[in-house]
Amino acid sequence: MNLTAVRSNRNKLMLLAVLVLLCAAAYLLVEVNLDSPKLFAYAMKIRTPKLIAMLITAFAIGGASLVFQSVINNTIVTPCLLGMNSLYTLIHTAVVFFLGSGSIVATHANLSFAVDVLLMGIAATIIYSWIFQKTNHNVLYVLLVGTVLTSFFGSIQTTLTRVMDPNEYDTLLSTLVASFSNINSEIILLSVVLLGAIVWFLRKDLALLDVLTLGKAQAINLGVDYDRCIRRLLLGVTLCIAVATAMVGPISFLGLIIANLSRQLLKTYRHSQLVLGSALFGMLVLVGGQLIVEHVYTYAVPVSVFITVGGGLYFLYLLLTRKKV
Amino acid sequence: MLTNSIHQEAIFIKGIRSTLILAGALMALSVLSLFVGVIDLTPAALFTGNLEQLSIFLTSRLPRLLAILCTGIGMSVAGLIMQQLCSNKFVSPTTGATISSAQLGILLALLFMPQSTLWSRAIFAFATAVGGTWIFVWFIQRIQFKDAVMVPLVGIMFGNVIGGITSYLAYQYDMTQALASWLVGHFSLVLKGRYEIVWLTVPLVVLAFLFANHFNIVGLGKDFSKNLGVPYNVVLFLGLTLAAMITASIVVVVGAISYIGLIVPNVVAMFKGDNIRGTLVDTALFGALFVLVCDMIGRVVIFPYELPIELIVGILGSLIFIGLLFYRLKHGRKAVRLGSPSSSSCSCPVSALEGGEEA
Amino acid sequence: MRIHELTKQYDGKTVVDAVSFSIPKGKVISLIGPNGAGKSTVMGMISRLIAHDSGLVEFEGKDIGKWKSKELSKRLAILTQSNNIQMKLTVRELVSFGRFPYSGNRITPEDSAIIDRAIAYMELEAFQDRFIDELSGGQRQRAMIAMVIAQDTEYVLLDEPTNNLDIYHATNMMKIVRRLCDELGKTVILVLHEINYAAFYSDYICAFKNGSVAKFGTVEEVITKENLSDIYQVDFEILNIAGKPLSIYY
Repeated sequence: MNLTAVRSNRNKLMLLAVLVLLCAAAYLLVEVNLDSPKLFAYAMKIRTPKLIAMLITAFAIGGASLVFQSVINNTIVTPCLLGMNSLYTLIHTAVVFFLGSGSIVATHANLSFAVDVLLMGIAATIIYSWIFQKTNHNVLYVLLVGTVLTSFFGSIQTTLTRVMDPNEYDTLLSTLVASFSNINSEIILLSVVLLGAIVWFLRKDLALLDVLTLGKAQAINLGVDYDRCIRRLLLGVTLCIAVATAMVGPISFLGLIIANLSRQLLKTYRHSQLVLGSALFGMLVLVGGQLIVEHVYTYAVPVSVFITVGGGLYFLYLLLTRKKV
Repeated sequence: MLTNSIHQEAIFIKGIRSTLILAGALMALSVLSLFVGVIDLTPAALFTGNLEQLSIFLTSRLPRLLAILCTGIGMSVAGLIMQQLCSNKFVSPTTGATISSAQLGILLALLFMPQSTLWSRAIFAFATAVGGTWIFVWFIQRIQFKDAVMVPLVGIMFGNVIGGITSYLAYQYDMTQALASWLVGHFSLVLKGRYEIVWLTVPLVVLAFLFANHFNIVGLGKDFSKNLGVPYNVVLFLGLTLAAMITASIVVVVGAISYIGLIVPNVVAMFKGDNIRGTLVDTALFGALFVLVCDMIGRVVIFPYELPIELIVGILGSLIFIGLLFYRLKHGRKAVRLGSPSSSSCSCPVSALEGGEEA
Repeated sequence: MRIHELTKQYDGKTVVDAVSFSIPKGKVISLIGPNGAGKSTVMGMISRLIAHDSGLVEFEGKDIGKWKSKELSKRLAILTQSNNIQMKLTVRELVSFGRFPYSGNRITPEDSAIIDRAIAYMELEAFQDRFIDELSGGQRQRAMIAMVIAQDTEYVLLDEPTNNLDIYHATNMMKIVRRLCDELGKTVILVLHEINYAAFYSDYICAFKNGSVAKFGTVEEVITKENLSDIYQVDFEILNIAGKPLSIYY
């Protein structure tokens, strides 16, 4: 990559970062009573954790989706489209179901999060490596199985909630699964630690991403321990999705949109820039979207609905315009 | 010649046998299902003229059974028709945006006519389901797909988008509660006087049977049907309309039930081949049986409460579907047609939809 | 490099059966044979892309599985047929990846010089800032070779490098293979379908049939009427053109 392109990408990323900052500031300050310090403090206390949670989510989903796409060499698939987020909500529900809603694990947000993440790492590794192997890495079949699994996990999860409480399952469901109106901000600290640890442990593998996009044969030719690297990266992706889902609940299409926006804007193979771009786009979409939802729609429609419609159309567009899927 | 006719006869008997077994099992389970429920009904009490029991029987149990049978028959036949017309094994009301379109129609009816009756809702649902299915099929016919599995993928996403629009409207106008009942299909609200629309499936399925040969021919492609003097577009749209109407009349009464239209025809075709005339009755019977079994599971698991059938179908159906998918991947397209050799001609129409594989 | 009793099975079917031969240094060796004879699988196994079931690939006195992948990538390069790179990469960026085993993601000035030479060697200067998906098949293949040159390995393995190229580009590719050996002193091992290219441009030929080595030797030893008729099961006629045994089959 020549220098001018690197510099222009740097400028683009700076611009994105500025936009994110503006959105974040607007999110914190719009319609806040600045005259009364008490009301101001109250508004900050409500809004800051939500903002942080959204930023973390955007980082986790943006990074995970982009890495996942590069690892499986396909820009149309994201971990959430394969049902990883429904798997997480299922695991969470199952833990509460089997241990009881009064148990320490269920009542303690951070403990429950830690248990879920651990189980998620194991379950997702087993299930998804099985699928990839069974389908001979045929991406279309992987995608189809993934979308079907989404409804499979969802059905089991709903069934479990109904069995737990046949009368009040709706209420139970909304306490079990996070959403944008019910952001799980208790686990912010643990999430940041976890994400930091993931990035730290995978720093060497992440540096190999550029080479991995050349394909398996080329990566091995250039001296990459391919299988080990892929395994580690996929585990990291899984854990990132777990963090995001635990915080704001399932949002299937976000990763698809932001990872591809980042690729289109930056037109590079450099993952240091791509991942950053994807995360920044995620923050922009989530914080900007939430800003609109709260102040234009006055909370009537959750931001995930917009992401589903927009993301679905975008997915169809990608599916139908790609020469190769 | 002689051996050939004996062979034909053997196939015929074999074909009849599976139909008889399915019909027998369905009868037995139907009777059994009438006596599963919160209030104990016994055949003896019914025959001795216990009025209270008789009224439960007539207002709740019998309507429920009839609705189940209509649903099973209707959804699986609708799926079969769609698969035949598009000559793609993965098209169905679930993967062809028909169900989600019908749901959108119901929401629109609730929005524009808050006092709407079942019938006016049904009319809305018919209109949107037919429209949605037409658009979807028009869309996939215009695109050269690399692999047949692209089609369900596009269909599911198409359905997702329509579902997203539905939930947007529902949130915006505060109708999420009202809509919830149609999102997850269940039979618990099926009572005398509130489910009769589902009977519409019967004449529609009969119609489908009458036109079965036409659907077969259209499935073989545009040129093929022209050669045989069958008006391709007319039959295609007629067939799709039929499938969409069947689906919509079920969705209006019991809500969304996915996968049946996808799985049942595929499972039957694995054993009996692709000729729609030969498989239609079996598909209908097996569909009814499948729904009946799922419903009974749903009623028993957390007795005295019940689980919506959509959840049971969602779990069983997605597992079976993934199984079918892996089976197809391993054995190729041919193996799904274990059935009679006469139907082998059905596998050659490589219309735009099925292109790609080992061409 | 020595291959000893190499065996590979897929689903219980033996596709490569106890193959043994040694690869002479500094020569061009072509693997030929009918479809399904196992030549590409052998190529995959000697380049560690495919795991072997039994046998041994000995590379510079050491089992290839015992080599550190990174060390091996400085000594042995493999180019497969499937090079569908999804990324937007320029030719120069692609060639730069050849330096990855040495310098990782950071390109040093020495690396830049090597990359420049590789691009110049393949006469790609004019294209170096073009994206590879905008190039023709022949140009893309040359860019891939330039990357292999930048990788600066003693051994170069090419799996059907002339596949999908027209006569002009295919012949050019074979001339490049010859130059890699004669001018840069590399040992080049390639899988070829076209017997005459193998006969004209290689030093040694290894002919496969049904998963085993049918013949291994110099071009003159292997390219005979009897050998080829036996391997391919069609009639052959051998002509001597420019001192090389060229074959005609009918």
